[in-house]
Amino acid sequence: MPLSADYIARETATNLWRNRLMTVAAVLTVAVSLALVGAALVLKQGAANAEVEWQRGTQVEVWMNPTSSPSENHAISNELAQLPYVHACSFHSQLSDYHEAQKLLTTSEFSALTPKTTPASYRCTPNQPQDAQFVVNRFKGQPGVLKVGAPLQQIHTMEETITVLQWVFVAVALVLLLSAGVLILNTIRMAIFARRREVSVMKLVGATNWFIRLPFMSEGLVQGLVGSIVAASVVFGLHEVLNSLSNNSTSVLAQMRLTGWEIFGTDAIVIVIGALIGTVGSAVAIRRFLDV
Amino acid sequence: MIRFDNVTKVYKNGTVAVRNVSLDIQKGEFVFLVGPSGSGKTTCIRMLLREELPDRGRIWVAGREIIHMPKWRVPYLRRNVGCVFQDYRLLPNKTVFQNVAFALEVIGRPKNVVETQVPQVLELVGLAKKRDNLPSELSGGEQQRVAVARAFVNRPLILLADEPTGNLDPATSQGIMRLLDRINRTGTTVVIATHDAALVDWMRRRVVELDQGTIVRDQARGVYGIDATSGSIARTEVGARRTS
Repeated sequence: MPLSADYIARETATNLWRNRLMTVAAVLTVAVSLALVGAALVLKQGAANAEVEWQRGTQVEVWMNPTSSPSENHAISNELAQLPYVHACSFHSQLSDYHEAQKLLTTSEFSALTPKTTPASYRCTPNQPQDAQFVVNRFKGQPGVLKVGAPLQQIHTMEETITVLQWVFVAVALVLLLSAGVLILNTIRMAIFARRREVSVMKLVGATNWFIRLPFMSEGLVQGLVGSIVAASVVFGLHEVLNSLSNNSTSVLAQMRLTGWEIFGTDAIVIVIGALIGTVGSAVAIRRFLDV
Repeated sequence: MIRFDNVTKVYKNGTVAVRNVSLDIQKGEFVFLVGPSGSGKTTCIRMLLREELPDRGRIWVAGREIIHMPKWRVPYLRRNVGCVFQDYRLLPNKTVFQNVAFALEVIGRPKNVVETQVPQVLELVGLAKKRDNLPSELSGGEQQRVAVARAFVNRPLILLADEPTGNLDPATSQGIMRLLDRINRTGTTVVIATHDAALVDWMRRRVVELDQGTIVRDQARGVYGIDATSGSIARTEVGARRTS
């Protein structure tokens, strides 16, 4: 049967306006539910970003013996440069470490040090935090090396925490998505239930199921899109607020900061979910009224 | 045009709505289905629209066997069968014109056809001047006329009516009957399930009487109840049909 776009557009607009209270209810349900889903997705991405930031900051410190020879220093430096799992290293001279110690140590502790007795150090960032263990094993006990230090326990704890945190956010997003789906489906079903008589008249005069279904799906699409655009705006607003709060800060919030593309991607996911839930939800909700 | 062949319908609660009904209705006939409440009249109408399926037997409508018809073909069946109900079943938010036009839009008729045919049928039912009114602004008789117009606008082969005058006063009911009679004269087969004895007696058309799901009378120019003179003839007719 020819089913014109004009007919669908006309029916959609008329029905949305005629059932405006139900339309507003459906749009609000989509908006609130998907804003929560979007927020959970933002937090999940934030946790992933924080992990990357934190990985970048993980360092292994290879402390050289103050009495080590230049050739020993050179050998260590060469070896570090060749290791595939070491991203970058910086060399801190004895004098530089002496000045750093001055800032970090108490006066009584610092008074025991002189530039000559302060060890020089290589500060290296491994490709992955778990690679720190390999660096430690490799240089421990080598000639000229005083000590190799890495926050191995912290790395383990932090990695576990962030992994758990990411899964929690994914689970929260999924649960919210499920409840959003049920809520939206229920709202659409109520809207269609109120119009079951109209559907029965359509069936009576010989309308095919697609002829009846398409305007309803189109309505669902509009409701889902409008609701999800509101949700995407809320998610974007949340992102902006978090950004402004974390400006010039080194807190966790700053580490969690999302890039423009990431927030665009999250918003796109929210909008696609909204459109899908609206369209498919309407098709599912109307199914039982078509079986006459 | 319509044929029931040993049709039996039993509802889930065990009620036998129709029992071994066999009936032939020719093209262009005007038939009343009469009988008390629960006699199976509405079930027959619903089965003709494929809203219900019988448990046994076969039904032909407009040359097609409809029991084994695939679901996707049912809308096409309904386009050949106009239907009118006691409660009008109009769309309350559409005007008279839109309600009638809807039946054409649904079957994909182009706009120019809609704009030609709807005023014609509204003229036929006497509602040309009320084309822009909503159903709530019309009387019961006028609403039923709109329902008849909607059922007839695409010139179906068959027009079914289930208690079409159930909510109307006698004078208005006669008006609806005249209208259905006019439609019948265009060649459309008309089947009316009704309780309205006065109308059946007034029209003097073929009467099929059902009682507890069984045809007890089939009379060519009958009245609502069995009278002393026609009763024996009617029973003979039914008996003759069953044995043939």
